[in-house]
Amino acid sequence: METRDLEVSLRERAGAVILDLVGDIDSRADANLQSAYDDAVRGNRSIVLNFTRAGYINSTGIALIVALLADARDQGVRITACGLSDHYRKIFEITRLADFMPIADDEDGAVPGAEQGHHA
Amino acid sequence: MVIVVVLAEFELPSQVGNEREVVDRVAGAVEGLELGAERLERLKTAVAEATLNAMEHGSGYRPDRPVQIRVVREVGRLLVQVSDRGGGRELPERGDPDIEAKLAGEQTPRGWGLFLIENMVDEASITSDGERRTLELVMALEGGADGDA
Repeated sequence: METRDLEVSLRERAGAVILDLVGDIDSRADANLQSAYDDAVRGNRSIVLNFTRAGYINSTGIALIVALLADARDQGVRITACGLSDHYRKIFEITRLADFMPIADDEDGAVPGAEQGHHA
Repeated sequence: MVIVVVLAEFELPSQVGNEREVVDRVAGAVEGLELGAERLERLKTAVAEATLNAMEHGSGYRPDRPVQIRVVREVGRLLVQVSDRGGGRELPERGDPDIEAKLAGEQTPRGWGLFLIENMVDEASITSDGERRTLELVMALEGGADGDA
């Protein structure tokens, strides 16, 4: 299992900020994930966590996501997830993260109105 | 007569990130059992969490207190035993984490490890002899009496 420290890049699409998560979401991801979230949450009401290129996610990584979600709820920011593998999607369901963070199959499904804009 | 085949037995220092090597070595050891992709992913997550638990709560991330791993095939089931020297220490709270309490700031965001383990494998149990604690993960294997996967 190849290890890769998490890198996060931000981009905007159809009024949402998309965080592309590349690498592992574990204890070493804390600073990069938090920093990217802090940038994304400024002035935005919709954030998409794109897990398409994420690798290993462990219980500490889940805790990091829970912490972001808690902050987002306090600030009235919607967080959506997309690109999860079947395995991690199941874990998000088991932990009930999915009850509080909608999970879309892909980015088009995660960005409100993106599909219409894409085809316009 | 119980037929037991030891597929792997090793130890690694309790250091951040070493759970990944444990996962790789366990996955290699069970390669021939044809668990299936989904169940293998589940086992890998459980092994990672069991190792993290042992390194953190059992060994306090002290490299001189390694974790021991034993992978055993019995008839109809696979066992992965993760041991540490924290038999005298209390484990973190058991029971299902409450995400609503976590989101409300009433619980720490952490505390998912044992919950994940219990949901990933067919059976999980913890034994302790006072010094050494072992978390045993069990996955059923298809194939009945001859143990073929």
